[in-house]
Amino acid sequence: MSRLPTVGSHAPAFTLRGDRNQEYPFPSATDAQAELLIFLKHDCATCSMIVPVVEHLYQTTERSDLRVLAVSQSSGDDTAAFLKQNRLTFPTALDVDLTVSDHYGFDAVPALVLTAPTGAVLGSAEGWSKVAWTQLLGEIAARCSFVPDANTILTAALEDLPETRPGCGSRTHEPEVASRWAVSRGRTLLAARRVNIPVRQDPFEFMVDRGLTDGLPVVPPTEQKVVEMLTGTSRTPSEIVAKVPPNLAAVTVEKVAINAVMAGCRPEYLPIVLTALEAACSDQFNLHGVLATTYFAGPVVVVNGPIRREIGLNCEGNVFGQGSRANATIGRALQLVVRNVGGGKPGEVDMSTLGQPGKFTCCIGEHEEASCWDPLHVERGFAQSDSTVTVFAGESPRAIRDQLSRSAGSLATSIGLALESVAHVKLHAMGEVMLVISPEHARTFAQDNFSKIDLRTCIQQVTARPLQELLPNSICEKGMLAASLPQSWRNPDGQPTPEARTRKVPKFEHADKIIIVVAGGTAGKFSAVLGGWASGGAGSTSVTKQIVF
Amino acid sequence: MSQPNSLTILDPTDEIDPLVRVLAPRPTTLTGTVGVIDISKPRGDVFCDELEILLHKQFPEVNVIRLRKSTFTKPSPRDFRLEIIRRCSGVIQALAD
Repeated sequence: MSRLPTVGSHAPAFTLRGDRNQEYPFPSATDAQAELLIFLKHDCATCSMIVPVVEHLYQTTERSDLRVLAVSQSSGDDTAAFLKQNRLTFPTALDVDLTVSDHYGFDAVPALVLTAPTGAVLGSAEGWSKVAWTQLLGEIAARCSFVPDANTILTAALEDLPETRPGCGSRTHEPEVASRWAVSRGRTLLAARRVNIPVRQDPFEFMVDRGLTDGLPVVPPTEQKVVEMLTGTSRTPSEIVAKVPPNLAAVTVEKVAINAVMAGCRPEYLPIVLTALEAACSDQFNLHGVLATTYFAGPVVVVNGPIRREIGLNCEGNVFGQGSRANATIGRALQLVVRNVGGGKPGEVDMSTLGQPGKFTCCIGEHEEASCWDPLHVERGFAQSDSTVTVFAGESPRAIRDQLSRSAGSLATSIGLALESVAHVKLHAMGEVMLVISPEHARTFAQDNFSKIDLRTCIQQVTARPLQELLPNSICEKGMLAASLPQSWRNPDGQPTPEARTRKVPKFEHADKIIIVVAGGTAGKFSAVLGGWASGGAGSTSVTKQIVF
Repeated sequence: MSQPNSLTILDPTDEIDPLVRVLAPRPTTLTGTVGVIDISKPRGDVFCDELEILLHKQFPEVNVIRLRKSTFTKPSPRDFRLEIIRRCSGVIQALAD
């Protein structure tokens, strides 16, 4: 959209040079009563059409009253040829790097700006319009003297011209130039410290040496890359997104964009990274605990809604695997922010005993189209058309193999039995878990109209075991601790009552702790389970947020 | 300003220069009130009980008090840290599993 200065505004001052290096300042600081700037380029037909009129104006006004200055967007040679071909004698400056054109902000040439000696704009126009030209002439006539017969000459010059004619695109809109200027403008908005990597040093090695990577190569976050990344969101670079544990460092949109560049994201992924970070830094998710635990947990990102397809996020075959840029880099960007901004590094605050590959990156889309149920975000109160991010503190996915069940009841039973091994078979009344149902398994549930509630209920039923079987004993000292049981289940000595020992305890504290997502390829009767970490107030609870673009 | 022939990148960190954390000075003797902090991991109380017995035996002049974090999964709340400062001349924090 054109930003050409209009009446009431001030035209930017500049100094350009001509083809013989002569200096052309604007304003001219002469006694001129008005100054007319005409921006043009040599290969613009509208420019060629109107320059004779400008030349006539230049010839018929008192030189001391009106200063005419053309500003050419073309090269010195092309400009010289253009001036010669059109027999133009008015002064012409060269806007070699298009700085002045960019500051004037017009979309098309010719662009005309008439100013008072102070630079105050008296009139402006883009392209050709007889009406606009006549208005400019009126302003000039009010301030400048003309030679005799000027009126006749200027009227004759207009005779063959159309009423209007659109101009040609300003060179500032050529893709290469526009990108350069976008970076130039965006650069001024970037607050991050600049770090120079000497030319002889490999950028990756440089960043590894400074502890800025997860061990894999990263993309150097140059100003241009970061400015391009920021085009993916409408949020301002300085906006604080969250306070990132463990250092509780305030992270801005810009810092997230820098890390997203390093991770290899495209700009359109940035809103997902930003929202995932907000969700992960909520009190409910408890990222500090997820980081500091010796357990395996890391943020598992699940994306729902139209954005999955818009950015090409994989929801289908090999959904947890390699090969999809969006999946690989969104989860990675989140982890890099935690590492670089929050300070959550392995061996320091991240005390995981074994870790897991998902701590490099773990991001999937729900295969909503292959699901017989409401997708996760709709279950959680969002509209189907909303795009959301869910973060869950999870382990690696683990296979649930059932190629034989043909009824929903059998499959649900089978999945329930498999889920009993999450963390440990003797650990029951557990917190959140994520069950990823494959499309083939989803079809089995669909054919019997088996709901998510039915599936959860069945899992709880088939996993329920008498407490006695779950308590530590001499054969296996692992089990549910008496201290974790409800007070009413315990004797004064803290041990379970005889009655409590016969009570059946399902695998999960509540059926709704079982998060169900459909994902994966359409062939294969395999589903997966991702165990969680401690749930509840002391642990982590999954969080779903609508994506802010 | 970019140096000639160098690549300029933007700092991805929080730009707070790393501070070397210095450990608080260790007491050479135990006096006053010593807090034994259970971070509330399972069986942490078992360890703290033993520790308290040993402290009473070896340092009968020391007043031992027991403190307990609400959860081991989150940093100590500010009020809890202030309570430690107010009540204790030294603390022993116990991890357990």
